[in-house]
Amino acid sequence: MPLNTNVDGNGTINIDISGRFDFNLYQDFRDAYKQVDNPAAASYNINMSGADYMDSSALGMLLLLRERAGGDKANISITGCNSEIKKIFSISNFERLFNIS
Amino acid sequence: MLPEENNIPEPDVESVNPVPAVARELKILVVDDEVTNRMVLNAMLKRDGFTVLMAENGKEAIEVFEKEELDLVLMDVMMPVMDGYEATRIIKSSIGNRFVPIFFLTAMTDEKALAKCIESGGDDFLTKPFSRTILRSKIDALLRVKTVYTKLQEQHDELVYHQKHIEHEHEIAERIFSKIIRTDALNVSNIKFLLSPVALFNGDILLVAPKPKGGQHIMLGDFTGHGLSAAIGAMPVAEIFYSMTEKGYSIQDIASEINTKLNKTLPTGLFCAACIVDVDTKHNKFTVWNGGVPSAILYSEDKRIKNVFKSTHLPFGVVSSREFKNDVQIVEAEKGDRIYLYSDGLIEATDSQGVMYGEDRLDLCFANNTDANNMFDELTSSQNEFRGDQLQEDDTTIIEVLFDAEESGKDKDSKETSDIKAPCKWDVSFELGPEILRGMDPLPAILHVLLEIQGLYSHRGRLYTILAELYSNALEHGVLGMDSKLKMSPEGFAEYYEIREQRLTDLNEGFIRINLHHEPADDGGKLTIEYQDSGKGFDVNSYHAETDNNIFSGRGIALVKSLCTEFNYNESGNGIQVVYLWES
Repeated sequence: MPLNTNVDGNGTINIDISGRFDFNLYQDFRDAYKQVDNPAAASYNINMSGADYMDSSALGMLLLLRERAGGDKANISITGCNSEIKKIFSISNFERLFNIS
Repeated sequence: MLPEENNIPEPDVESVNPVPAVARELKILVVDDEVTNRMVLNAMLKRDGFTVLMAENGKEAIEVFEKEELDLVLMDVMMPVMDGYEATRIIKSSIGNRFVPIFFLTAMTDEKALAKCIESGGDDFLTKPFSRTILRSKIDALLRVKTVYTKLQEQHDELVYHQKHIEHEHEIAERIFSKIIRTDALNVSNIKFLLSPVALFNGDILLVAPKPKGGQHIMLGDFTGHGLSAAIGAMPVAEIFYSMTEKGYSIQDIASEINTKLNKTLPTGLFCAACIVDVDTKHNKFTVWNGGVPSAILYSEDKRIKNVFKSTHLPFGVVSSREFKNDVQIVEAEKGDRIYLYSDGLIEATDSQGVMYGEDRLDLCFANNTDANNMFDELTSSQNEFRGDQLQEDDTTIIEVLFDAEESGKDKDSKETSDIKAPCKWDVSFELGPEILRGMDPLPAILHVLLEIQGLYSHRGRLYTILAELYSNALEHGVLGMDSKLKMSPEGFAEYYEIREQRLTDLNEGFIRINLHHEPADDGGKLTIEYQDSGKGFDVNSYHAETDNNIFSGRGIALVKSLCTEFNYNESGNGIQVVYLWES
């Protein structure tokens, strides 16, 4: 399964992504955050340690999540990025919108 | 032969898998040369609710088949004129996409003869004498297969329809893109480019526009999404890019405008990574705004990488205009410099093993180059060699722009119309009557007229301040006859605006006249703004005396004074003239 979701004890929604993070994950990714009752109050962690590639549609999906999670007030961390993925984030300057590590 | 178990009728309680209620409408063709067989089957099937048609031989069967929409055929083998095998072959070969089961009923028990039933296109067989129950079950089974088949066929047709629909949309998207990207603008002597149809489809756009006074604006954009959704976003982008370039706006203004438009119109998640370059042949510099596109490379005639313009911004459409930043990177340009822009398709291209082209190969390609004139060709051939057979996925976009003051500037001659918006001498007047003063805010429209002057765009903030302060001054103290002394205390402040509101609602006479007069200067112009109102005016001399005490003059007028080089009331105090000098 390229995408797994769980909610931990602190109420953080963890979304694990593996393989290619691209348009094929759109439905799964949407389902993952749509099930949250109060999306703006939640915090999110996107774990990318299993992901080896990301395209611009993935960036779009992250923006959708950000909007749903309260826009500028959203609390979204993206962790475990490999160097390729970090580069994509940095080219598109997404560090300004997300906590990326 | 006669079926053995024909001591029917008995109540039909045995049908284990009844075909749904619609079964009553199902049509079965019985083909048999023996009249008794036909009668028996006819009676039995009719009792089960089927519509029964009959034929005496294969030839008749084909004739019925051509006329009727049948659901099942019960076929005898040995018949005069044409046997069951032959009839089945003909029916099955002419049936096309439909599925009508043919069920052999035969007295033959010879295995070869039975196998031939299936060979000739039959779907099942049963030897006579047969059990009525078995026959009925087999008919049900075949009809069930037919139902599944029909459903599949319907779904298949639907898929084909959607497939065609998508193909059609792709064609539209391609046509839109090819119109947006005016390839004639790309065919300029100082530009080389690579833009494949796949790249287009994937939302890459490449725009080049000559600036009115020489030089060019170049933009490489990469939309998320592809096909129509990308084409939709590309339309306003291209329009803004071409029209603002033609009017002489800077790439900073163009970038802000594109971002505002996309942020307002595109749904979240759809955006456009882009890099815009201003090739300035007048001041010999490159100005670059890069939001989300791989670093642009500045390469010299003597094969040095002079600069890399990294992406320093978010792509277009991601943040609101308030958060958007349009600061640019500026580097001096020399004759023979080349600037390279490319989409991420270049770096992310993979070979047959799935290995990416990567930045190292790109760096190496520049390092190994022996002649700057061949750099573009080497870059593209290095890509092609690397990809090998993977060419069909080619979605790379690359553009090379050579800096050559004469070449880049040459195209302006063929585009004489673009100089129309150069500063010139003009006058325009507005008279605003009570209807407008009561309800509308005329300032945006007036500002818009002013901004048609090329070069004034970057002054729009200050111009708006001047227009707005003078407007409220003329309206409140002139037309409405209000005294700003009221505003001295907090209670008075509220009262002031209550009175203003009241008087404005009741207003049915009065006017404000605005005259704008512009004269061009060397590198800018002189804008004279005059306001006249229908108010009584005031004693200009006593006002001047009082300004030092700072009790009468509001912050607004002080602001206007600080922005303008000249500031004068007329004799009667109901008119004002200010002068704004500007440089581009």
